Amino acid sequence: MLPLEGMRVLDMTQIMAGPYCTMVLGDLGADVTKIERIPGGDDTRRMGPFVENESVSFMMINRNKKSLTLNLKTEKGKQIFYELAKKADVIVENYKPGVVKSLGIDYETIEAMNPGIIYCSVSGYGQTGPYSHKGGFDIMAQGMTGLMSMTGEPGGRPVKAGIAMNDISAGVTALYSILAAYVHKMKTGVGQYIDVSLVESGLVWSVWESAAYFGAGEVPTATGSRHRMNAPYQAYKTKDGYVLVGGANQRNWEKFCKGVVERPEWIEDPRFLTTVERVKNVDALEQCIEEIFIHETTAYWVNKLDQAEVPGGPINTYDQTLNDPHILARGMVQEFEHPKAGKMKTLGIPAKMSKTPGQIRMAAPMLGQHAEEILSQDLGYTQEEIQQLRENGVI
Amino acid sequence: MGALDGLKILDLSQILAGPYCTMVLGDLGAEVIKLEKLNGGDDTRQMGPFVNGESTSFFQINRNKKSITVNLKTDEGKEVFYRLAKEVDVIVENYRPGVAASLKIGYEDVKKINPGIIYCSISGYGQTGPYSHKGGFDLVAQGMSGIMSMTGEKGGRPLKSGVAVYDIGAGITAAYAILAAYVHKLKTGKGQHVDLSLAEIGLPWFAWEAAAYFANGTIPTATGHRHRALAPYQAFRTKDSYFMLGCGNQRNWEKFCIDVIDRPGWIRDPRFIDNKMRIENIEILEKEIENVLIEHDSKYWIERCEKAGVPAGPINNFDEAMNDPHYLARDMIQEVEHPVIGKMKMVGIPTKLSETPGEIRSASPVLGQHTVEVLSSIGYTEEELKKLEETQVIGKANIDGKL
Repeated sequence: MLPLEGMRVLDMTQIMAGPYCTMVLGDLGADVTKIERIPGGDDTRRMGPFVENESVSFMMINRNKKSLTLNLKTEKGKQIFYELAKKADVIVENYKPGVVKSLGIDYETIEAMNPGIIYCSVSGYGQTGPYSHKGGFDIMAQGMTGLMSMTGEPGGRPVKAGIAMNDISAGVTALYSILAAYVHKMKTGVGQYIDVSLVESGLVWSVWESAAYFGAGEVPTATGSRHRMNAPYQAYKTKDGYVLVGGANQRNWEKFCKGVVERPEWIEDPRFLTTVERVKNVDALEQCIEEIFIHETTAYWVNKLDQAEVPGGPINTYDQTLNDPHILARGMVQEFEHPKAGKMKTLGIPAKMSKTPGQIRMAAPMLGQHAEEILSQDLGYTQEEIQQLRENGVI
Repeated sequence: MGALDGLKILDLSQILAGPYCTMVLGDLGAEVIKLEKLNGGDDTRQMGPFVNGESTSFFQINRNKKSITVNLKTDEGKEVFYRLAKEVDVIVENYRPGVAASLKIGYEDVKKINPGIIYCSISGYGQTGPYSHKGGFDLVAQGMSGIMSMTGEKGGRPLKSGVAVYDIGAGITAAYAILAAYVHKLKTGKGQHVDLSLAEIGLPWFAWEAAAYFANGTIPTATGHRHRALAPYQAFRTKDSYFMLGCGNQRNWEKFCIDVIDRPGWIRDPRFIDNKMRIENIEILEKEIENVLIEHDSKYWIERCEKAGVPAGPINNFDEAMNDPHYLARDMIQEVEHPVIGKMKMVGIPTKLSETPGEIRSASPVLGQHTVEVLSSIGYTEEELKKLEETQVIGKANIDGKL
């Protein structure tokens, strides 16, 4: 049994933020119908790499969904959408603000026919405020939130986070908001509108940074691999690479001095006495540690940190990560059968629930794969009617 | 009214991941009781900057919570814990795996007295698997997941993402997992254990990277300021600084050529004909574009992009972000009155719900602020509380506590 069984989701989103949100809902048991435009569908379907002409990028974040291609610019297409919307609990969309209104599929229209609907809009800048009309992607959000000004080496060219961090943060923010609204709906029967943006979802991740800014007026800058408020907490150079040390509290620092670098006298060193002192003298601390670390390999230091029970680890490349015995033991790499591409691997489910674990029930759909199933089984269209809709370019 | 009114949470977690989770749930209406250790409480209370002796770091992520101090190593302290555990829907903890069980406050212990409990454990590596015994922090997870190998300039020193992405990521993964489990509980009455780790929660975020790796073994490397699969989609240098340009599709690229930099000929240039060719020729593309952009400052180019409908934006520093008119208009900066700190600003709530908007109802608590209130509410008498305080089972309440 899955926790969200019975929840019906209409997904009008594409690319990453929205599809990530609806994928997780699907993993947890929701029935997700992805409505794709004619022709072409979700833009991700044109992103490589391809296997048997099917996009693997699309496969990675569209599992556990059905695909229905629908031309929302035709009256009949709109009609079908309304029929589906009347039966849905949740609608997720990521058009530029204003577009759903002009298509006649906005919250007010849907609410009039289904007052319990939870309608979530994900956009670059939100539905209100001076920038709401602008289009916004992840990278603009990384620039606007200040994240890029804090990533990279001090004084260097601004660097973005390795992945589309603010797409993901918007997707997950949409996800927990939808679930909270669903809890409210279960208790009261009342639906609502949810407005989520990339630039805000990303902003609230800057916790220590806002503490420094609001608490002391400091503007956080790029710190390379260092933590802003803790030390030693960064990557250190070794004989053959780098090793990460996470000595985030006094107990770990003391274990580090005694058990890892074997410099117990550092514990009493006035420069390194407390977290506050160590952050103030982080350059000196880095130099002291690297003078020792440089003589041995990363593997040696990882082992030594483990033995001393000080959090630490290597900096993996992606293939090392996905072949790591721990990652494999936790089921984070899964294999599934795609109707066209055959056996493919994908990333697993990170939240392990004891009674209702998430499941990969089906591969990402081919474009329009479930049009017939949804129209005939869910909405009661006859074979002839479906044929007619196809010929008219509605589905 | 909050969406999660009536949801009761006992929060044993500290630092960032767990407290972030319970803050999000608190913002949405849940009642959060933060159980802290006697000597100093949550480790974040020792992190600067300090105002009137109170940590503003703690202040940022512990709003909408009550604080009680209890010594879980004493029998009476455990008794307090069990009595609270019977009353709540959710427990969140981030001890190293094994510690909660050895304190007799693990899932198995709580399940016996409250079968409907949703017990969420957040750890570095998870409750099972070969590394489960190790301690793990955000930075170590950034190293393990491969994201550091994808961040930074090619060949440079490895970089972490500017903020603690996996701590926060674990916090919001816990938040949605708990809500899914709560939906299940509302339907069936059954609780469950939720096990998640910093090392795993970031992995499913690698959609494009996983696609390339699983399809043809490509190992993604650092791309600096550029996108891995789209071009031009990156930071560009201008006369005075940098700005972000995001031509995520062909239409935007064409608008950019015609209306922004006035190079319509590029649309038919075989080197830049489609996204695939632009990625292949990214070095030359970047050079050609910057040759034009260098003539004006960032503000000029952002305005031109805006007029043309091409996604673009500034690279703010945090000061600029915090004073941005859009953020201010969207209530993303809020001021809160703290009993010791006084008036202090914080970052607001990113999700706008029409019927049950999130709310900052109270500032972060001072250590043990609600010990008396919470324990009285589950039936402890004033006399019993005095005794517990004398034997150091609970901490001394201050501010509005009466002891």
